[in-house]
Amino acid sequence: MGGAGKDRHRGGLIVQRSFLSRLAGISDTKAWPWLLLAPCLLLAMAVVLYPTATGIDLSFRQMRLNRPDLGTGYVGLRHYWAMLEDPVFYVSLQNTFVWVVSTVGIELAMGMLAAVVLDMELPWFRTIAVIVLLPWFLPIVVAGNIWALLLDSRLGVINAALVSLGVLDDFKPWFADPAWALPMAILVEAWHGFPFFALLLLAGLKGIPTELYEAAAVDGANLWHRFRHIQLPSLTMVMTAAVVLRAISLMNSPDLILILTGGGPGRSTQVLSLYAFQKAYREFNFGYAGALSVVMLLLLMGSAWLYVRLTGALKDD
Amino acid sequence: MTILTRRTALALAATALAARAQAASKLTYWHHFTSQEEFTGLKNVMALFQQRFPDIALTQENIPNPEYMTKFTAAVMAKSRPDVSMVVAERLPDMLAMDGLIDVTARVDGWKNKANFPSDRWLGATSKGKIYGVPAFTFIDWVYYRKDWFEEAGIAGPPTTLDEFVATAKKLTDPSKNRYGFGMRGGPGGAAYLIDLIESFGSPFVIDGKNAMDRAKTLAAVKWYSDLATVHKVVPPSATNDGFRQIMEGFKTGQTAMTWHHTGSLVEMVRALKPAQFGTAAKPAGPAARVARLTYLYNGLMKKDNEQAAWDWISFWGEPDPSIAFLNETGYFPASIATAKDPRITGNPLYKSAAETLGFGRLPPAFVGLAGWSQNVVLPEFQKILVGQSTAEKATDAMLKGLDATIN
Repeated sequence: MGGAGKDRHRGGLIVQRSFLSRLAGISDTKAWPWLLLAPCLLLAMAVVLYPTATGIDLSFRQMRLNRPDLGTGYVGLRHYWAMLEDPVFYVSLQNTFVWVVSTVGIELAMGMLAAVVLDMELPWFRTIAVIVLLPWFLPIVVAGNIWALLLDSRLGVINAALVSLGVLDDFKPWFADPAWALPMAILVEAWHGFPFFALLLLAGLKGIPTELYEAAAVDGANLWHRFRHIQLPSLTMVMTAAVVLRAISLMNSPDLILILTGGGPGRSTQVLSLYAFQKAYREFNFGYAGALSVVMLLLLMGSAWLYVRLTGALKDD
Repeated sequence: MTILTRRTALALAATALAARAQAASKLTYWHHFTSQEEFTGLKNVMALFQQRFPDIALTQENIPNPEYMTKFTAAVMAKSRPDVSMVVAERLPDMLAMDGLIDVTARVDGWKNKANFPSDRWLGATSKGKIYGVPAFTFIDWVYYRKDWFEEAGIAGPPTTLDEFVATAKKLTDPSKNRYGFGMRGGPGGAAYLIDLIESFGSPFVIDGKNAMDRAKTLAAVKWYSDLATVHKVVPPSATNDGFRQIMEGFKTGQTAMTWHHTGSLVEMVRALKPAQFGTAAKPAGPAARVARLTYLYNGLMKKDNEQAAWDWISFWGEPDPSIAFLNETGYFPASIATAKDPRITGNPLYKSAAETLGFGRLPPAFVGLAGWSQNVVLPEFQKILVGQSTAEKATDAMLKGLDATIN
């Protein structure tokens, strides 16, 4: 009994050694990195690829949850053809372009200004930094409702201030006016989102070696020269990453517009993400909503690629 | 002996645990209550329920009304349903189409309190002869009007027809004083009022699964309603974006003379205004019908895991004590005729118009796709007229076309 146990123990050690020696053999091959990456790749496939593939698959299917009689079979490109004939899609596309480009542009400008000022480390800059970052900490639902109240045409403080300053004759219902609804929503979103740029750009500015500033000072560079020739070129990569990330976030999030206007008045503030949301959760038409999402995905991929190319952020110096 | 004793003790403990697990049920209840009054009312009803059923652990979860169907759909898709869900008539077809509710017909038929609920109370939760919910309370549409302004302007009483309504609203409008005759809900939730008007002008919506809308009658309704803003200018300039909160504030702060809502907001009005300042009236009649909705709020079962406990909860709402406890906090009308005879209801003059409306009120329309059509087509098309981007004719055509797309 005792001898058999020893034999089994010895056998086990031999197997363990042979496994380790085989593993050591593999570690010298090209397969080794892939083997190490396999768990992560499997996880990424389960978390990223599977849902994405399901979403794309959905866009080719009939999937109206409240119409089970229609089935869930494949309908080919039917949703995409329907989109081409859907006037709301074109309005949403146009508004999405204005919404994303304007908001990112304003946020980038405001974020850059805040980052450059904070980088100067003026007195009270830590307190100012917290104040600058405050909007970003607020949940978008809270921020949206605060601004809806501030801009309210009955009780809004901003209306009251503008009337008392003589800028307006009367309280203005900003979100009920198609000419103002989208611009005001953009301003609210820019207020909420600019600290994201400020934070990233400030981190980028802190990484610039002080020797560059010292050398520029010797050459007689003023603040503008420092910004134009040292800070801006050093921030290209950070700016590109921030712009792409923020554009993705804006394109995919209908929450603020949903709170402020619901896409109205009429279709004045209708954007693609909101339209996809409405199709999915108001009409329960997940097939069409899936097709809208695929179009958004393609638009995002295309515009991100174009933007990175244009800025030359990934070029080797 | 020692081993035997341990085994016996373990067996006894296991039996006790199993028995306890069987007796104590856990229930999750989804609802879309929002106000403080509603939450207090719900808390009181839950406390009464716990007294009666101490072995049922009840958890309530609030889902904001605009997101209710989103969450409901996700729960059905992800198979993470609560035990009980609040149900309203216009959502029933969509909920049933995704197989989200359990048939409770047999339980209702065997329920001792069924006689307190006349047959019309069940219609909003009935489909193809099967019942999917028990009525908890009801919202009755009515008009709030500024009694003091009416007296000031020498107007005898609230309007009873749409023509009188326009005349009254015009008389009470004075933009220089920031006063408007009517607080129109042109923003979130506003489509329901236009849908009611279309029906009061005589047009049906869907009959036998087909688009039955009458273009001329729909157009007349759309035109009448949009004219209030574009021609008569008797609504605040913010009307296009005004939802529930805005129409309430507009009325309470003295911006509007009349607004349409239902009994559900009475407690809020009573707290904000003095009895001499406002009154309630039945909604005015249209050319073809007088349409005011009786919206029964039901509770339905979403899964069978704790069916008996879930039934105990939904049927509990139909009993007098919880109904009165809820009414005390919220002012919401009980659905049971036995409870409606309570002196706290019959003795309140503000409820007179609700009692009147019970005589002619009707259930909201219900067909598959109604929610999507009303929110994604009717409301934006109507808003476009208000902001001058469309005409009543174009909007009507878009609504008819949208309904075709919804049901085909």
